[in-house]
Amino acid sequence: MAFLLEPLQYAFMTRAFAASAIVGVLCAVIGTYVVLRGMAFLGDALAHAILPGVAIAYLLQGNLLIGALAAAVVVALAIGLFSRQGTIKEDTAIGILFAAALSLGVALISTMKTYAVDLSHILFGDVLGVSSADLWLTAGLGLAVLLTVALLYKPFLVISFDPVLAATMRLPADLLRMLMLILLALTVVVSLQTVGVGLAAAMLVTPAATAYLLTRRLLPMMLIAALLGALSAVVGLYVSYYANVVSGAAIVLTATAFFLVAWLFNPRQGVLRRRVRQT
Amino acid sequence: MSTTSERLEVQNASVGYGDKVVLHDLTFNVPHGARVAVVGPNGAGKSTLFKALVGLLPLRGGRIFVHGQPLGNHKDCVAYVPQREEVDWRFPVTVRDVVMMGRYDHQGWIRRASVQDKQVVGRSLAQMGIADLAGRSIGDLSGGEQQRMFLSRALAQEPHILLMDEPFTGVDVPTQESTLELLDDLRAEDVTAMIATHDLGISVQKFDLMLLLNHRLIAFGSPRDVMKPEHLLRAFGTRLTVLPDGSMVVDEH
Repeated sequence: MAFLLEPLQYAFMTRAFAASAIVGVLCAVIGTYVVLRGMAFLGDALAHAILPGVAIAYLLQGNLLIGALAAAVVVALAIGLFSRQGTIKEDTAIGILFAAALSLGVALISTMKTYAVDLSHILFGDVLGVSSADLWLTAGLGLAVLLTVALLYKPFLVISFDPVLAATMRLPADLLRMLMLILLALTVVVSLQTVGVGLAAAMLVTPAATAYLLTRRLLPMMLIAALLGALSAVVGLYVSYYANVVSGAAIVLTATAFFLVAWLFNPRQGVLRRRVRQT
Repeated sequence: MSTTSERLEVQNASVGYGDKVVLHDLTFNVPHGARVAVVGPNGAGKSTLFKALVGLLPLRGGRIFVHGQPLGNHKDCVAYVPQREEVDWRFPVTVRDVVMMGRYDHQGWIRRASVQDKQVVGRSLAQMGIADLAGRSIGDLSGGEQQRMFLSRALAQEPHILLMDEPFTGVDVPTQESTLELLDDLRAEDVTAMIATHDLGISVQKFDLMLLLNHRLIAFGSPRDVMKPEHLLRAFGTRLTVLPDGSMVVDEH
Protein backbone atom coordinates (compact mmCIF):
# COMPACT_ATOMS: atom_id res chain seq x y z
CA MET A 1 0.00 0.00 0.00
CA ALA A 2 2.76 2.38 0.98
CA PHE A 3 4.36 1.45 -2.31
CA LEU A 4 1.32 2.78 -4.17
CA LEU A 5 0.73 5.78 -1.92
CA GLU A 6 4.28 7.06 -1.74
CA PRO A 7 4.28 8.97 -5.03
CA LEU A 8 0.95 10.59 -4.20
CA GLN A 9 2.40 12.64 -1.34
CA TYR A 10 3.86 15.01 -3.93
CA ALA A 11 1.35 17.44 -5.40
CA PHE A 12 3.10 17.37 -8.79
CA MET A 13 2.70 13.57 -8.87
CA THR A 14 -1.04 13.72 -8.09
CA ARG A 15 -1.45 16.24 -10.90
CA ALA A 16 0.59 13.99 -13.17
CA PHE A 17 -1.63 11.01 -12.37
CA ALA A 18 -4.79 13.02 -13.02
CA ALA A 19 -3.51 14.54 -16.26
CA SER A 20 -2.21 11.30 -17.72
CA ALA A 21 -5.34 9.35 -16.80
CA ILE A 22 -7.48 11.97 -18.58
CA VAL A 23 -5.19 11.82 -21.60
CA GLY A 24 -5.26 8.02 -21.53
CA VAL A 25 -9.05 7.96 -21.67
CA LEU A 26 -9.32 10.70 -24.25
CA CYS A 27 -6.73 9.26 -26.63
CA ALA A 28 -8.31 5.83 -26.37
CA VAL A 29 -11.81 7.03 -27.23
CA ILE A 30 -10.73 9.14 -30.20
CA GLY A 31 -8.22 6.41 -31.05
CA THR A 32 -11.13 4.03 -31.61
CA TYR A 33 -12.12 6.09 -34.66
CA VAL A 34 -8.47 6.45 -35.64
CA VAL A 35 -8.05 2.66 -35.69
CA LEU A 36 -11.36 1.91 -37.41
CA ARG A 37 -11.02 4.60 -40.06
CA GLY A 38 -7.34 3.95 -40.70
CA MET A 39 -6.27 7.42 -39.57
CA ALA A 40 -3.14 6.41 -37.62
CA PHE A 41 -0.90 8.23 -40.07
CA LEU A 42 -3.06 11.32 -39.72
CA GLY A 43 -2.85 11.22 -35.93
CA ASP A 44 0.91 10.98 -36.05
CA ALA A 45 1.10 13.77 -38.62
CA LEU A 46 -1.11 16.05 -36.54
CA ALA A 47 1.05 15.47 -33.50
CA HIS A 48 4.15 16.59 -35.38
CA ALA A 49 2.39 19.38 -37.18
CA ILE A 50 1.62 21.24 -33.97
CA LEU A 51 5.31 21.95 -33.49
CA PRO A 52 5.29 25.37 -35.22
CA GLY A 53 2.34 26.46 -33.10
CA VAL A 54 4.21 25.55 -29.97
CA ALA A 55 7.36 27.27 -31.21
CA ILE A 56 5.50 30.48 -32.06
CA ALA A 57 3.74 30.47 -28.69
CA TYR A 58 7.11 30.01 -27.02
CA LEU A 59 8.67 32.87 -29.00
CA LEU A 60 5.75 35.14 -28.12
CA GLN A 61 5.85 33.85 -24.53
CA GLY A 62 2.22 32.80 -24.78
CA ASN A 63 0.55 29.62 -23.57
CA LEU A 64 2.12 26.63 -25.36
CA LEU A 65 -1.10 24.62 -25.27
CA ILE A 66 -3.03 27.37 -26.99
CA GLY A 67 -0.32 27.70 -29.65
CA ALA A 68 -0.46 23.95 -30.23
CA LEU A 69 -4.23 24.02 -30.39
CA ALA A 70 -4.28 26.74 -33.03
CA ALA A 71 -1.69 24.92 -35.16
CA ALA A 72 -3.50 21.59 -34.90
CA VAL A 73 -6.84 23.03 -35.92
CA VAL A 74 -5.28 24.87 -38.88
CA VAL A 75 -3.51 21.71 -40.08
CA ALA A 76 -6.59 19.51 -39.58
CA LEU A 77 -8.75 21.92 -41.58
CA ALA A 78 -6.11 22.24 -44.30
CA ILE A 79 -5.88 18.45 -44.70
CA GLY A 80 -9.65 18.24 -44.92
CA LEU A 81 -9.76 21.04 -47.47
CA PHE A 82 -6.98 19.69 -49.72
CA SER A 83 -8.38 16.17 -49.88
CA ARG A 84 -12.09 16.98 -49.87
CA GLN A 85 -12.61 17.40 -53.56
CA GLY A 86 -10.71 14.21 -54.30
CA THR A 87 -8.09 16.12 -56.31
CA ILE A 88 -5.29 14.62 -54.21
CA LYS A 89 -5.51 11.65 -51.90
CA GLU A 90 -5.79 12.27 -48.19
CA ASP A 91 -2.51 10.57 -47.30
CA THR A 92 -0.71 12.71 -49.89
CA ALA A 93 -2.24 15.87 -48.41
CA ILE A 94 -1.18 14.69 -44.97
CA GLY A 95 2.35 13.96 -46.14
CA ILE A 96 2.76 17.45 -47.63
CA LEU A 97 1.34 19.36 -44.66
CA PHE A 98 3.00 17.17 -42.06
CA ALA A 99 6.47 17.74 -43.51
CA ALA A 100 5.87 21.45 -44.11
CA ALA A 101 4.61 22.07 -40.57
CA LEU A 102 7.37 20.02 -38.99
CA SER A 103 10.00 21.90 -41.01
CA LEU A 104 8.51 25.23 -40.02
CA GLY A 105 8.57 24.16 -36.38
CA VAL A 106 12.19 23.05 -36.54
CA ALA A 107 13.18 26.23 -38.41
CA LEU A 108 11.57 28.39 -35.74
CA ILE A 109 13.14 26.39 -32.94
CA SER A 110 16.59 26.56 -34.50
CA THR A 111 16.52 30.33 -34.07
CA MET A 112 16.41 29.90 -30.29
CA LYS A 113 19.42 29.25 -28.11
CA THR A 114 18.17 27.64 -24.92
CA TYR A 115 15.61 25.38 -26.38
CA ALA A 116 17.14 21.93 -25.98
CA VAL A 117 15.35 21.09 -22.73
CA ASP A 118 11.97 22.46 -23.82
CA LEU A 119 12.25 20.71 -27.16
CA SER A 120 12.74 17.37 -25.46
CA HIS A 121 9.71 18.14 -23.27
CA ILE A 122 7.62 18.84 -26.33
CA LEU A 123 8.81 15.74 -28.12
CA PHE A 124 8.50 13.33 -25.22
CA GLY A 125 6.24 15.06 -22.71
CA ASP A 126 6.75 16.62 -19.31
CA VAL A 127 4.00 15.18 -17.22
CA LEU A 128 5.75 16.03 -13.95
CA GLY A 129 5.62 19.70 -14.90
CA VAL A 130 1.83 19.88 -15.23
CA SER A 131 0.56 23.01 -13.43
CA SER A 132 -2.92 23.21 -11.96
CA ALA A 133 -3.89 25.58 -14.78
CA ASP A 134 -2.70 22.96 -17.30
CA LEU A 135 -4.66 20.30 -15.49
CA TRP A 136 -7.86 22.34 -15.62
CA LEU A 137 -7.36 23.06 -19.31
CA THR A 138 -6.73 19.36 -19.96
CA ALA A 139 -9.84 18.37 -18.02
CA GLY A 140 -11.97 21.01 -19.73
CA LEU A 141 -10.85 20.13 -23.26
CA GLY A 142 -11.13 16.43 -22.49
CA LEU A 143 -14.67 16.81 -21.24
CA ALA A 144 -15.65 18.84 -24.30
CA VAL A 145 -14.24 16.19 -26.67
CA LEU A 146 -15.89 13.28 -24.84
CA LEU A 147 -19.21 15.09 -24.70
CA THR A 148 -19.09 15.74 -28.46
CA VAL A 149 -18.33 12.07 -29.12
CA ALA A 150 -21.24 11.03 -26.90
CA LEU A 151 -23.66 13.40 -28.63
CA LEU A 152 -22.53 12.48 -32.14
CA TYR A 153 -22.11 8.77 -31.51
CA LYS A 154 -24.63 7.72 -34.14
CA PRO A 155 -23.60 10.09 -36.96
CA PHE A 156 -19.94 9.23 -36.37
CA LEU A 157 -20.78 5.53 -36.48
CA VAL A 158 -22.63 5.90 -39.77
CA ILE A 159 -20.00 8.02 -41.56
CA SER A 160 -17.28 5.61 -40.38
CA PHE A 161 -19.05 2.37 -41.24
CA ASP A 162 -21.19 3.25 -44.22
CA PRO A 163 -20.66 6.54 -46.10
CA VAL A 164 -23.37 5.55 -48.58
CA LEU A 165 -25.96 5.25 -45.82
CA ALA A 166 -24.77 8.62 -44.54
CA ALA A 167 -25.47 10.04 -48.00
CA THR A 168 -28.93 8.48 -48.26
CA MET A 169 -29.75 9.95 -44.87
CA ARG A 170 -28.41 13.34 -46.00
CA LEU A 171 -25.93 13.57 -43.14
CA PRO A 172 -23.49 16.46 -43.58
CA ALA A 173 -20.63 13.99 -44.01
CA ASP A 174 -17.93 16.54 -44.91
CA LEU A 175 -18.78 18.64 -41.88
CA LEU A 176 -18.78 15.61 -39.58
CA ARG A 177 -15.44 14.42 -40.96
CA MET A 178 -13.98 17.88 -40.38
CA LEU A 179 -15.32 17.86 -36.83
CA MET A 180 -13.74 14.48 -36.23
CA LEU A 181 -10.41 15.90 -37.39
CA ILE A 182 -10.77 18.80 -34.97
CA LEU A 183 -11.54 16.42 -32.11
CA LEU A 184 -8.45 14.44 -33.07
CA ALA A 185 -6.40 17.63 -33.12
CA LEU A 186 -7.67 18.64 -29.67
CA THR A 187 -6.83 15.21 -28.32
CA VAL A 188 -3.31 15.35 -29.70
CA VAL A 189 -2.79 18.78 -28.15
CA VAL A 190 -4.06 17.63 -24.77
CA SER A 191 -1.71 14.65 -24.85
CA LEU A 192 1.24 16.87 -25.72
CA GLN A 193 2.23 17.44 -22.11
CA THR A 194 1.85 13.82 -21.00
CA VAL A 195 3.45 11.78 -23.72
CA GLY A 196 4.72 14.44 -26.09
CA VAL A 197 4.51 14.89 -29.84
CA GLY A 198 6.56 11.79 -30.58
CA LEU A 199 4.42 9.36 -28.63
CA ALA A 200 0.90 10.79 -28.97
CA ALA A 201 0.15 8.52 -31.93
CA ALA A 202 0.94 5.46 -29.82
CA MET A 203 -1.59 6.48 -27.17
CA LEU A 204 -4.17 6.99 -29.91
CA VAL A 205 -3.64 3.66 -31.58
CA THR A 206 -2.42 1.12 -29.03
CA PRO A 207 -5.25 1.00 -26.44
CA ALA A 208 -7.89 1.10 -29.19
CA ALA A 209 -6.18 -1.69 -31.12
CA THR A 210 -5.96 -3.75 -27.91
CA ALA A 211 -9.68 -3.24 -27.28
CA TYR A 212 -10.44 -4.27 -30.88
CA LEU A 213 -8.84 -7.64 -30.17
CA LEU A 214 -11.13 -8.13 -27.18
CA THR A 215 -14.57 -7.10 -28.45
CA ARG A 216 -16.50 -6.70 -31.69
CA ARG A 217 -18.89 -3.91 -30.73
CA LEU A 218 -18.13 -0.23 -30.96
CA LEU A 219 -19.28 1.01 -27.54
CA PRO A 220 -17.58 -1.78 -25.54
CA MET A 221 -14.49 -1.22 -27.69
CA MET A 222 -14.45 2.45 -26.69
CA LEU A 223 -15.00 1.67 -23.02
CA ILE A 224 -12.35 -1.06 -22.87
CA ALA A 225 -9.92 1.20 -24.74
CA ALA A 226 -10.62 4.03 -22.28
CA LEU A 227 -10.01 1.72 -19.33
CA LEU A 228 -6.77 0.44 -20.87
CA GLY A 229 -5.66 3.98 -21.68
CA ALA A 230 -6.17 5.16 -18.12
CA LEU A 231 -4.61 2.02 -16.68
CA SER A 232 -1.55 2.37 -18.95
CA ALA A 233 -1.15 5.96 -17.81
CA VAL A 234 -1.31 5.13 -14.11
CA VAL A 235 0.83 1.98 -14.26
CA GLY A 236 3.28 3.74 -16.56
CA LEU A 237 3.67 6.61 -14.10
CA TYR A 238 4.41 4.21 -11.23
CA VAL A 239 6.99 2.48 -13.41
CA SER A 240 8.44 5.86 -14.27
CA TYR A 241 8.58 6.88 -10.60
CA TYR A 242 10.26 3.74 -9.30
CA ALA A 243 12.42 2.79 -12.28
CA ASN A 244 13.36 6.40 -12.91
CA VAL A 245 12.57 6.40 -16.64
CA VAL A 246 10.91 9.09 -18.75
CA SER A 247 7.19 9.00 -17.99
CA GLY A 248 5.88 9.27 -21.57
CA ALA A 249 7.94 6.29 -22.66
CA ALA A 250 6.91 4.26 -19.61
CA ILE A 251 3.22 4.94 -20.33
CA VAL A 252 3.50 3.95 -23.98
CA LEU A 253 5.46 0.80 -23.15
CA THR A 254 2.81 -0.19 -20.59
CA ALA A 255 0.10 0.24 -23.24
CA THR A 256 2.20 -1.87 -25.61
CA ALA A 257 2.51 -4.60 -22.98
CA PHE A 258 -1.29 -4.72 -22.69
CA PHE A 259 -1.53 -5.00 -26.45
CA LEU A 260 0.92 -7.91 -26.57
CA VAL A 261 -0.97 -9.77 -23.85
CA ALA A 262 -4.25 -9.29 -25.73
CA TRP A 263 -2.66 -10.33 -28.99
CA LEU A 264 -1.35 -13.54 -27.49
CA PHE A 265 -4.40 -14.52 -25.43
CA ASN A 266 -7.52 -12.91 -26.96
CA PRO A 267 -10.44 -15.27 -27.49
CA ARG A 268 -10.79 -14.69 -31.23
CA GLN A 269 -7.45 -14.99 -32.94
CA GLY A 270 -5.01 -15.06 -30.04
CA VAL A 271 -1.82 -16.75 -31.14
CA LEU A 272 -1.43 -18.89 -28.02
CA ARG A 273 -5.12 -19.80 -27.90
CA ARG A 274 -4.93 -21.14 -31.40
CA ARG A 275 -1.84 -23.12 -30.55
CA VAL A 276 -3.60 -24.70 -27.57
CA ARG A 277 -6.71 -25.53 -29.57
CA GLN A 278 -4.67 -27.28 -32.25
CA THR A 279 -2.90 -29.63 -29.86
CA MET B 1 -48.77 10.51 -68.30
CA SER B 2 -49.29 12.82 -65.36
CA THR B 3 -46.28 13.57 -63.23
CA THR B 4 -48.05 12.94 -59.92
CA SER B 5 -48.33 9.21 -60.54
CA GLU B 6 -44.57 8.91 -60.90
CA ARG B 7 -42.24 8.29 -58.03
CA LEU B 8 -38.97 8.88 -59.73
CA GLU B 9 -38.25 11.16 -62.65
CA VAL B 10 -34.81 11.47 -64.14
CA GLN B 11 -34.40 14.30 -66.67
CA ASN B 12 -31.28 14.60 -68.82
CA ALA B 13 -29.09 13.53 -65.92
CA SER B 14 -25.31 13.30 -66.40
CA VAL B 15 -23.06 11.88 -63.68
CA GLY B 16 -19.32 11.34 -63.34
CA TYR B 17 -16.22 11.25 -61.18
CA GLY B 18 -13.44 13.84 -61.54
CA ASP B 19 -12.97 14.60 -65.24
CA LYS B 20 -14.77 11.47 -66.38
CA VAL B 21 -18.45 11.57 -67.23
CA VAL B 22 -19.81 8.04 -66.78
CA LEU B 23 -23.49 8.60 -67.55
CA HIS B 24 -24.68 10.89 -70.31
CA ASP B 25 -28.05 12.47 -70.57
CA LEU B 26 -30.32 9.89 -68.96
CA THR B 27 -34.06 10.47 -69.09
CA PHE B 28 -36.64 8.04 -67.70
CA ASN B 29 -39.64 7.91 -65.36
CA VAL B 30 -40.38 5.10 -62.95
CA PRO B 31 -44.00 4.83 -61.77
CA HIS B 32 -45.28 3.96 -58.30
CA GLY B 33 -44.22 0.59 -56.95
CA ALA B 34 -42.60 -0.65 -60.17
CA ARG B 35 -39.71 -3.09 -60.21
CA VAL B 36 -36.91 -2.05 -62.51
CA ALA B 37 -33.97 -4.22 -63.51
CA VAL B 38 -30.97 -2.07 -64.40
CA VAL B 39 -28.93 -4.05 -66.89
CA GLY B 40 -25.73 -3.37 -68.77
CA PRO B 41 -22.15 -4.55 -69.16
CA ASN B 42 -19.54 -4.11 -66.42
CA GLY B 43 -18.57 -0.47 -66.08
CA ALA B 44 -21.70 0.71 -67.88
CA GLY B 45 -22.56 3.01 -64.99
CA LYS B 46 -25.12 0.99 -63.03
CA SER B 47 -23.52 1.67 -59.66
CA THR B 48 -22.88 5.26 -60.71
CA LEU B 49 -26.57 5.74 -61.43
CA PHE B 50 -27.42 4.43 -57.95
CA LYS B 51 -24.86 6.66 -56.32
CA ALA B 52 -26.40 9.65 -58.06
CA LEU B 53 -29.87 8.57 -56.94
CA VAL B 54 -28.83 8.41 -53.28
CA GLY B 55 -27.09 11.77 -53.58
CA LEU B 56 -23.56 10.43 -53.16
CA LEU B 57 -22.43 11.78 -56.53
CA PRO B 58 -23.54 15.23 -57.64
CA LEU B 59 -25.29 15.60 -60.98
CA ARG B 60 -23.22 17.14 -63.78
CA GLY B 61 -26.36 18.16 -65.52
CA GLY B 62 -30.08 17.47 -65.59
CA ARG B 63 -32.40 16.87 -62.67
CA ILE B 64 -33.82 14.07 -60.56
CA PHE B 65 -37.21 14.35 -58.87
CA VAL B 66 -38.69 12.08 -56.22
CA HIS B 67 -42.42 12.64 -55.73
CA GLY B 68 -42.07 15.77 -57.82
CA GLN B 69 -39.47 17.19 -55.41
CA PRO B 70 -35.79 17.65 -56.25
CA LEU B 71 -33.44 14.99 -54.89
CA GLY B 72 -32.43 15.57 -51.28
CA ASN B 73 -35.79 16.77 -50.01
CA HIS B 74 -36.89 13.34 -48.93
CA LYS B 75 -34.69 12.14 -46.19
CA ASP B 76 -36.10 8.69 -45.64
CA CYS B 77 -37.05 8.04 -49.21
CA VAL B 78 -34.23 6.00 -50.67
CA ALA B 79 -32.63 2.89 -49.21
CA TYR B 80 -29.53 1.39 -50.77
CA VAL B 81 -28.32 -2.18 -50.46
CA PRO B 82 -24.59 -2.01 -51.19
CA GLN B 83 -22.45 -4.53 -53.00
CA ARG B 84 -20.88 -6.65 -50.33
CA GLU B 85 -17.34 -5.74 -51.40
CA GLU B 86 -18.00 -2.10 -50.52
CA VAL B 87 -18.37 -2.86 -46.81
CA ASP B 88 -15.68 -3.03 -44.12
CA TRP B 89 -16.58 -6.38 -42.59
CA ARG B 90 -14.04 -5.99 -39.78
CA PHE B 91 -15.95 -3.04 -38.34
CA PRO B 92 -16.99 -3.82 -34.75
CA VAL B 93 -20.78 -3.92 -35.08
CA THR B 94 -23.35 -6.68 -34.74
CA VAL B 95 -26.12 -7.55 -37.19
CA ARG B 96 -28.66 -5.83 -34.94
CA ASP B 97 -26.49 -2.68 -34.78
CA VAL B 98 -26.40 -2.47 -38.57
CA VAL B 99 -30.14 -2.95 -38.97
CA MET B 100 -30.76 -0.37 -36.23
CA MET B 101 -28.77 2.14 -38.30
CA GLY B 102 -31.70 2.04 -40.71
CA ARG B 103 -33.82 3.60 -37.95
CA TYR B 104 -31.48 6.47 -37.06
CA ASP B 105 -33.25 8.86 -39.38
CA HIS B 106 -36.62 8.02 -37.84
CA GLN B 107 -35.51 8.10 -34.23
CA GLY B 108 -33.40 11.25 -34.39
CA TRP B 109 -29.64 11.37 -34.13
CA ILE B 110 -29.36 11.96 -30.42
CA ARG B 111 -32.30 10.08 -28.93
CA ARG B 112 -32.08 6.43 -27.96
CA ALA B 113 -33.94 3.73 -29.87
CA SER B 114 -37.65 3.65 -29.00
CA VAL B 115 -39.70 0.51 -28.41
CA GLN B 116 -41.12 0.99 -31.88
CA ASP B 117 -37.65 1.16 -33.44
CA LYS B 118 -36.72 -2.08 -31.70
CA GLN B 119 -39.92 -3.71 -32.93
CA VAL B 120 -39.26 -2.63 -36.51
CA VAL B 121 -35.70 -3.97 -36.31
CA GLY B 122 -36.89 -7.27 -34.85
CA ARG B 123 -39.55 -7.60 -37.54
CA SER B 124 -37.10 -6.79 -40.35
CA LEU B 125 -34.62 -9.37 -39.07
CA ALA B 126 -37.37 -11.98 -38.80
CA GLN B 127 -38.69 -11.19 -42.26
CA MET B 128 -35.27 -11.96 -43.78
CA GLY B 129 -34.92 -15.06 -41.59
CA ILE B 130 -31.88 -13.88 -39.62
CA ALA B 131 -33.45 -13.13 -36.22
CA ASP B 132 -31.17 -15.73 -34.65
CA LEU B 133 -28.08 -13.93 -35.99
CA ALA B 134 -28.94 -10.55 -34.43
CA GLY B 135 -26.14 -10.65 -31.86
CA ARG B 136 -23.52 -11.98 -34.29
CA SER B 137 -20.67 -9.71 -35.32
CA ILE B 138 -20.81 -8.89 -39.02
CA GLY B 139 -17.41 -10.38 -39.72
CA ASP B 140 -18.77 -13.85 -38.93
CA LEU B 141 -21.54 -13.86 -41.56
CA SER B 142 -21.66 -15.83 -44.79
CA GLY B 143 -22.21 -14.00 -48.06
CA GLY B 144 -25.93 -14.76 -48.09
CA GLU B 145 -26.32 -13.69 -44.48
CA GLN B 146 -24.47 -10.44 -45.19
CA GLN B 147 -26.94 -9.64 -47.91
CA ARG B 148 -29.94 -10.52 -45.76
CA MET B 149 -28.63 -8.17 -43.11
CA PHE B 150 -28.55 -5.26 -45.55
CA LEU B 151 -31.97 -6.20 -46.87
CA SER B 152 -33.24 -6.14 -43.27
CA ARG B 153 -31.75 -2.72 -42.82
CA ALA B 154 -33.40 -1.50 -46.00
CA LEU B 155 -36.73 -2.80 -44.68
CA ALA B 156 -36.17 -1.07 -41.34
CA GLN B 157 -35.66 2.20 -43.22
CA GLU B 158 -39.22 1.93 -44.54
CA PRO B 159 -38.14 3.47 -47.83
CA HIS B 160 -40.18 4.58 -50.79
CA ILE B 161 -37.46 3.62 -53.22
CA LEU B 162 -35.12 0.68 -52.75
CA LEU B 163 -31.87 0.38 -54.72
CA MET B 164 -29.94 -2.88 -54.78
CA ASP B 165 -26.57 -3.35 -56.41
CA GLU B 166 -26.06 -6.89 -57.77
CA PRO B 167 -28.10 -8.74 -55.12
CA PHE B 168 -28.13 -11.97 -57.13
CA THR B 169 -24.39 -12.23 -57.66
CA GLY B 170 -22.38 -14.57 -55.47
CA VAL B 171 -25.13 -15.52 -53.02
CA ASP B 172 -26.73 -18.87 -52.29
CA VAL B 173 -30.07 -19.88 -53.81
CA PRO B 174 -32.10 -19.39 -50.57
CA THR B 175 -30.83 -15.81 -50.37
CA GLN B 176 -31.74 -15.20 -54.02
CA GLU B 177 -35.20 -16.53 -53.30
CA SER B 178 -35.71 -14.47 -50.18
CA THR B 179 -34.51 -11.41 -52.09
CA LEU B 180 -37.16 -12.04 -54.71
CA GLU B 181 -39.77 -12.67 -52.02
CA LEU B 182 -38.83 -9.40 -50.44
CA LEU B 183 -39.47 -7.69 -53.78
CA ASP B 184 -42.98 -9.17 -53.76
CA ASP B 185 -43.62 -7.92 -50.24
CA LEU B 186 -42.35 -4.49 -51.13
CA ARG B 187 -44.59 -4.28 -54.14
CA ALA B 188 -47.56 -4.85 -51.83
CA GLU B 189 -46.38 -1.76 -49.93
CA ASP B 190 -45.91 0.25 -53.12
CA VAL B 191 -42.14 0.52 -52.74
CA THR B 192 -40.33 1.19 -55.99
CA ALA B 193 -37.37 -1.16 -56.44
CA MET B 194 -34.42 -0.72 -58.80
CA ILE B 195 -31.98 -3.58 -59.01
CA ALA B 196 -28.69 -3.64 -60.85
CA THR B 197 -28.05 -7.12 -62.16
CA HIS B 198 -26.13 -9.15 -64.70
CA ASP B 199 -28.84 -11.75 -64.78
CA LEU B 200 -30.92 -11.21 -67.90
CA GLY B 201 -33.05 -14.28 -67.10
CA ILE B 202 -34.21 -12.98 -63.71
CA SER B 203 -34.74 -9.54 -65.23
CA VAL B 204 -37.12 -10.88 -67.82
CA GLN B 205 -39.01 -13.17 -65.45
CA LYS B 206 -39.33 -11.05 -62.35
CA PHE B 207 -39.30 -7.41 -63.33
CA ASP B 208 -41.90 -5.03 -64.72
CA LEU B 209 -39.42 -2.77 -66.41
CA MET B 210 -35.87 -3.02 -67.70
CA LEU B 211 -33.41 -0.22 -68.05
CA LEU B 212 -30.61 -1.09 -70.44
CA LEU B 213 -27.57 1.03 -69.84
CA ASN B 214 -24.18 1.53 -71.43
CA HIS B 215 -23.07 5.03 -70.42
CA ARG B 216 -26.26 6.16 -72.15
CA LEU B 217 -29.78 4.91 -71.92
CA ILE B 218 -30.09 2.24 -74.60
CA ALA B 219 -33.62 1.13 -73.90
CA PHE B 220 -36.24 1.45 -71.17
CA GLY B 221 -39.55 -0.34 -71.02
CA SER B 222 -41.08 -3.76 -70.51
CA PRO B 223 -38.61 -6.66 -70.72
CA ARG B 224 -40.25 -7.74 -73.98
CA ASP B 225 -39.53 -4.38 -75.59
CA VAL B 226 -36.05 -4.05 -74.17
CA MET B 227 -34.77 -7.57 -74.89
CA LYS B 228 -34.39 -7.06 -78.60
CA PRO B 229 -31.19 -8.09 -80.34
CA GLU B 230 -30.52 -4.57 -81.66
CA HIS B 231 -30.73 -3.10 -78.14
CA LEU B 232 -28.62 -5.81 -76.59
CA LEU B 233 -26.06 -5.53 -79.33
CA ARG B 234 -25.74 -1.79 -78.65
CA ALA B 235 -25.32 -2.44 -74.93
CA PHE B 236 -23.08 -5.47 -74.93
CA GLY B 237 -21.44 -5.30 -78.38
CA THR B 238 -19.45 -8.34 -79.39
CA ARG B 239 -19.90 -9.94 -75.96
CA LEU B 240 -23.43 -10.86 -77.02
CA THR B 241 -24.01 -14.15 -78.80
CA VAL B 242 -27.36 -15.11 -80.29
CA LEU B 243 -27.77 -18.86 -80.16
CA PRO B 244 -29.48 -20.78 -82.98
CA ASP B 245 -32.63 -21.24 -80.88
CA GLY B 246 -33.00 -17.49 -80.54
CA SER B 247 -31.81 -17.19 -76.93
CA MET B 248 -29.02 -14.76 -76.14
CA VAL B 249 -25.93 -15.18 -74.02
CA VAL B 250 -23.73 -12.42 -72.68
CA ASP B 251 -20.09 -13.22 -72.09
CA GLU B 252 -18.97 -11.05 -69.21
CA HIS B 253 -15.27 -11.90 -69.41
